[in-house]
Amino acid sequence: MYLPSAVTKQAEIDAAVQRVQQAIGPDVLRIRYEIGEDWSGQWAIFFRIVLKDDAARRRLRDVATKVVWELARQLDFPAMGVFAYHNFRSESEQAVLQEPAWA
Amino acid sequence: MGLADELLEDAQFLANKGVRDDRQTLMRRAISTAYYATFHLFVEDFVEHWEFEDQRARLGRMFSHGPMRNAAFTPKEKKNPTAVEQDLLDVITAFGQLQKDRQRADYDSGWRLVETDVRDSIRLAEDVFIKWRKIKDEDIARHHLLSMFNAKWE
Repeated sequence: MYLPSAVTKQAEIDAAVQRVQQAIGPDVLRIRYEIGEDWSGQWAIFFRIVLKDDAARRRLRDVATKVVWELARQLDFPAMGVFAYHNFRSESEQAVLQEPAWA
Repeated sequence: MGLADELLEDAQFLANKGVRDDRQTLMRRAISTAYYATFHLFVEDFVEHWEFEDQRARLGRMFSHGPMRNAAFTPKEKKNPTAVEQDLLDVITAFGQLQKDRQRADYDSGWRLVETDVRDSIRLAEDVFIKWRKIKDEDIARHHLLSMFNAKWE
Protein backbone atom coordinates (compact mmCIF):
# COMPACT_ATOMS: atom_id res chain seq x y z
CA MET A 1 0.00 0.00 0.00
CA TYR A 2 1.30 3.44 -0.98
CA LEU A 3 1.86 5.88 1.85
CA PRO A 4 3.01 9.44 1.16
CA SER A 5 6.22 10.57 2.84
CA ALA A 6 4.16 13.13 4.80
CA VAL A 7 3.06 10.26 7.04
CA THR A 8 6.61 9.77 8.28
CA LYS A 9 7.34 13.50 8.60
CA GLN A 10 4.90 14.48 11.29
CA ALA A 11 7.59 15.89 13.58
CA GLU A 12 8.73 18.13 10.72
CA ILE A 13 5.14 19.16 10.04
CA ASP A 14 4.52 19.89 13.74
CA ALA A 15 7.59 22.12 13.88
CA ALA A 16 6.57 23.94 10.70
CA VAL A 17 3.07 24.50 12.04
CA GLN A 18 4.52 26.06 15.18
CA ARG A 19 6.73 28.35 13.12
CA VAL A 20 3.76 29.43 11.01
CA GLN A 21 1.71 30.23 14.10
CA GLN A 22 4.56 32.31 15.50
CA ALA A 23 5.09 34.11 12.19
CA ILE A 24 1.45 35.08 11.83
CA GLY A 25 0.84 36.02 15.42
CA PRO A 26 -2.26 36.16 17.59
CA ASP A 27 -4.82 36.09 14.76
CA VAL A 28 -4.23 32.32 14.58
CA LEU A 29 -5.22 30.54 17.77
CA ARG A 30 -4.28 27.04 16.67
CA ILE A 31 -3.62 24.86 13.66
CA ARG A 32 -4.58 21.19 13.66
CA TYR A 33 -4.05 18.74 10.83
CA GLU A 34 -4.48 15.20 9.72
CA ILE A 35 -3.23 13.17 6.79
CA GLY A 36 -5.59 10.97 4.85
CA GLU A 37 -7.24 10.38 1.52
CA ASP A 38 -9.48 13.05 0.08
CA TRP A 39 -12.81 12.56 -1.70
CA SER A 40 -11.05 11.41 -4.87
CA GLY A 41 -8.83 8.88 -3.07
CA GLN A 42 -5.71 11.05 -3.32
CA TRP A 43 -3.49 11.61 -0.31
CA ALA A 44 -3.90 14.96 1.34
CA ILE A 45 -3.12 16.95 4.44
CA PHE A 46 -6.15 18.65 5.93
CA PHE A 47 -5.36 21.74 7.99
CA ARG A 48 -7.98 23.08 10.40
CA ILE A 49 -7.20 26.61 11.48
CA VAL A 50 -9.00 28.38 14.31
CA LEU A 51 -8.86 32.17 14.07
CA LYS A 52 -9.67 34.91 16.51
CA ASP A 53 -13.19 36.17 15.91
CA ASP A 54 -12.02 39.55 14.71
CA ALA A 55 -9.60 38.01 12.22
CA ALA A 56 -12.26 35.65 10.83
CA ARG A 57 -14.85 38.41 10.48
CA ARG A 58 -12.76 41.34 9.30
CA ARG A 59 -9.46 40.07 7.94
CA LEU A 60 -10.21 36.60 6.61
CA ARG A 61 -8.70 37.28 3.19
CA ASP A 62 -5.40 38.56 4.56
CA VAL A 63 -5.01 36.08 7.38
CA ALA A 64 -6.07 33.01 5.40
CA THR A 65 -3.75 33.93 2.52
CA LYS A 66 -0.85 34.38 4.93
CA VAL A 67 -1.50 31.01 6.58
CA VAL A 68 -1.67 29.19 3.23
CA TRP A 69 1.48 30.89 1.93
CA GLU A 70 3.45 30.33 5.13
CA LEU A 71 2.55 26.66 5.32
CA ALA A 72 3.52 26.21 1.65
CA ARG A 73 6.78 28.06 2.29
CA GLN A 74 7.64 25.82 5.24
CA LEU A 75 6.47 22.50 3.81
CA ASP A 76 6.99 21.07 0.33
CA PHE A 77 3.62 19.38 -0.12
CA PRO A 78 4.24 17.96 -3.62
CA ALA A 79 7.49 16.37 -2.38
CA MET A 80 5.56 14.92 0.56
CA GLY A 81 3.06 13.37 -1.84
CA VAL A 82 0.04 15.27 -0.56
CA PHE A 83 -2.31 18.02 -1.66
CA ALA A 84 -2.89 20.61 1.06
CA TYR A 85 -6.36 21.71 2.12
CA HIS A 86 -7.04 24.53 4.57
CA ASN A 87 -10.30 25.16 6.38
CA PHE A 88 -10.89 28.02 8.79
CA ARG A 89 -13.33 28.82 11.53
CA SER A 90 -13.57 31.39 14.26
CA GLU A 91 -13.11 30.84 17.95
CA SER A 92 -16.79 31.51 18.66
CA GLU A 93 -17.93 29.18 15.85
CA GLN A 94 -15.85 26.40 17.35
CA ALA A 95 -17.22 27.21 20.79
CA VAL A 96 -20.70 26.47 19.45
CA LEU A 97 -19.77 23.41 17.40
CA GLN A 98 -17.39 21.88 19.97
CA GLU A 99 -15.79 19.58 17.42
CA PRO A 100 -12.84 17.70 18.97
CA ALA A 101 -10.87 17.71 15.72
CA TRP A 102 -10.69 21.51 15.92
CA ALA A 103 -9.98 21.73 19.66
CA MET B 1 -21.71 38.71 -18.70
CA GLY B 2 -20.66 35.07 -19.08
CA LEU B 3 -21.82 32.04 -17.16
CA ALA B 4 -18.80 32.07 -14.83
CA ASP B 5 -19.39 35.67 -13.71
CA GLU B 6 -23.09 35.05 -13.22
CA LEU B 7 -22.35 32.00 -11.10
CA LEU B 8 -19.94 34.00 -8.96
CA GLU B 9 -22.63 36.63 -8.38
CA ASP B 10 -25.09 33.86 -7.50
CA ALA B 11 -22.60 32.37 -5.06
CA GLN B 12 -22.15 35.76 -3.38
CA PHE B 13 -25.92 36.22 -3.17
CA LEU B 14 -26.48 32.73 -1.75
CA ALA B 15 -23.67 33.21 0.76
CA ASN B 16 -25.08 36.47 2.07
CA LYS B 17 -28.61 35.12 2.27
CA GLY B 18 -27.49 31.82 3.79
CA VAL B 19 -25.53 33.58 6.53
CA ARG B 20 -28.25 36.18 7.16
CA ASP B 21 -30.99 33.54 7.40
CA ASP B 22 -28.72 30.99 9.09
CA ARG B 23 -29.82 28.43 6.51
CA GLN B 24 -27.49 25.47 5.92
CA THR B 25 -28.88 24.57 2.49
CA LEU B 26 -28.22 28.05 1.09
CA MET B 27 -24.69 28.00 2.50
CA ARG B 28 -24.11 24.63 0.84
CA ARG B 29 -25.41 25.98 -2.49
CA ALA B 30 -23.13 29.01 -2.12
CA ILE B 31 -20.04 26.82 -1.73
CA SER B 32 -21.05 24.56 -4.59
CA THR B 33 -21.81 27.51 -6.85
CA ALA B 34 -18.52 29.21 -5.99
CA TYR B 35 -16.70 26.12 -7.24
CA TYR B 36 -18.71 25.92 -10.44
CA ALA B 37 -18.05 29.59 -11.10
CA THR B 38 -14.31 28.88 -11.19
CA PHE B 39 -14.84 25.68 -13.19
CA HIS B 40 -16.66 27.63 -15.89
CA LEU B 41 -14.11 30.44 -15.74
CA PHE B 42 -11.45 28.03 -17.01
CA VAL B 43 -13.76 26.32 -19.48
CA GLU B 44 -14.91 29.63 -20.98
CA ASP B 45 -11.35 30.82 -21.27
CA PHE B 46 -10.32 27.65 -23.04
CA VAL B 47 -13.17 27.39 -25.51
CA GLU B 48 -13.21 31.06 -26.51
CA HIS B 49 -10.05 30.39 -28.49
CA TRP B 50 -11.70 27.62 -30.47
CA GLU B 51 -12.43 29.00 -33.90
CA PHE B 52 -15.73 27.23 -34.47
CA GLU B 53 -18.25 28.93 -32.25
CA ASP B 54 -20.95 26.30 -32.72
CA GLN B 55 -18.60 23.65 -31.27
CA ARG B 56 -17.54 25.53 -28.15
CA ALA B 57 -20.19 24.15 -25.81
CA ARG B 58 -19.32 20.61 -26.89
CA LEU B 59 -15.63 21.28 -26.37
CA GLY B 60 -16.36 22.66 -22.90
CA ARG B 61 -18.08 19.43 -21.92
CA MET B 62 -14.77 17.62 -22.41
CA PHE B 63 -13.40 19.18 -19.22
CA SER B 64 -13.69 16.99 -16.16
CA HIS B 65 -13.11 17.76 -12.53
CA GLY B 66 -10.33 15.29 -11.68
CA PRO B 67 -7.81 16.27 -14.36
CA MET B 68 -8.53 19.96 -13.72
CA ARG B 69 -7.62 19.55 -10.07
CA ASN B 70 -4.64 17.29 -10.74
CA ALA B 71 -2.96 19.60 -13.23
CA ALA B 72 0.31 20.35 -11.48
CA PHE B 73 2.74 23.23 -11.79
CA THR B 74 6.21 23.67 -10.33
CA PRO B 75 7.94 27.07 -10.45
CA LYS B 76 11.46 27.21 -11.87
CA GLU B 77 12.77 28.14 -8.43
CA LYS B 78 10.52 26.39 -5.93
CA LYS B 79 11.45 28.63 -3.01
CA ASN B 80 11.40 31.82 -5.01
CA PRO B 81 8.51 31.86 -7.50
CA THR B 82 7.98 34.87 -9.74
CA ALA B 83 4.84 36.96 -9.20
CA VAL B 84 3.11 35.24 -12.12
CA GLU B 85 4.13 31.80 -10.86
CA GLN B 86 2.85 32.66 -7.37
CA ASP B 87 -0.49 33.77 -8.81
CA LEU B 88 -0.78 30.48 -10.71
CA LEU B 89 0.11 28.49 -7.57
CA ASP B 90 -2.56 30.41 -5.65
CA VAL B 91 -5.12 29.66 -8.35
CA ILE B 92 -4.27 25.95 -8.28
CA THR B 93 -4.46 25.75 -4.49
CA ALA B 94 -7.74 27.66 -4.34
CA PHE B 95 -9.32 25.60 -7.11
CA GLY B 96 -8.42 22.34 -5.33
CA GLN B 97 -9.84 23.68 -2.07
CA LEU B 98 -13.05 24.81 -3.74
CA GLN B 99 -13.45 21.45 -5.43
CA LYS B 100 -12.99 19.57 -2.16
CA ASP B 101 -15.41 21.84 -0.31
CA ARG B 102 -17.94 21.55 -3.15
CA GLN B 103 -17.81 17.77 -2.84
CA ARG B 104 -18.41 18.04 0.87
CA ALA B 105 -21.16 20.64 0.58
CA ASP B 106 -23.02 18.48 -1.90
CA TYR B 107 -22.56 15.06 -0.28
CA ASP B 108 -21.55 15.28 3.39
CA SER B 109 -24.83 15.75 5.23
CA GLY B 110 -22.98 15.70 8.55
CA TRP B 111 -21.05 18.87 7.80
CA ARG B 112 -22.33 21.69 10.03
CA LEU B 113 -21.38 24.80 8.13
CA VAL B 114 -20.46 28.09 9.72
CA GLU B 115 -20.17 31.58 8.30
CA THR B 116 -16.40 31.32 7.90
CA ASP B 117 -16.77 28.22 5.69
CA VAL B 118 -18.97 30.17 3.30
CA ARG B 119 -17.05 33.43 3.41
CA ASP B 120 -13.84 31.55 2.72
CA SER B 121 -15.25 29.80 -0.34
CA ILE B 122 -16.42 33.11 -1.76
CA ARG B 123 -13.05 34.66 -1.02
CA LEU B 124 -11.26 31.81 -2.79
CA ALA B 125 -13.48 32.03 -5.85
CA GLU B 126 -13.04 35.81 -6.05
CA ASP B 127 -9.29 35.38 -5.77
CA VAL B 128 -9.27 32.79 -8.57
CA PHE B 129 -11.17 35.20 -10.84
CA ILE B 130 -8.85 38.12 -10.08
CA LYS B 131 -5.59 36.20 -10.32
CA TRP B 132 -6.52 34.10 -13.32
CA ARG B 133 -7.62 37.15 -15.31
CA LYS B 134 -4.36 38.84 -14.43
CA ILE B 135 -2.19 35.97 -15.69
CA LYS B 136 -4.32 34.15 -18.25
CA ASP B 137 -2.35 35.41 -21.26
CA GLU B 138 0.99 34.36 -19.77
CA ASP B 139 2.69 31.28 -21.22
CA ILE B 140 2.55 29.31 -17.98
CA ALA B 141 -1.17 29.98 -17.62
CA ARG B 142 -1.88 28.91 -21.21
CA HIS B 143 0.08 25.71 -20.64
CA HIS B 144 -1.69 25.12 -17.34
CA LEU B 145 -5.05 25.40 -19.04
CA LEU B 146 -3.96 22.67 -21.44
CA SER B 147 -2.85 20.53 -18.49
CA MET B 148 -6.31 21.01 -16.94
CA PHE B 149 -7.67 19.68 -20.18
CA ASN B 150 -5.45 16.62 -19.57
CA ALA B 151 -3.01 17.45 -22.37
CA LYS B 152 0.39 15.81 -21.79
CA TRP B 153 3.67 17.65 -22.24
CA GLU B 154 5.27 14.75 -24.15
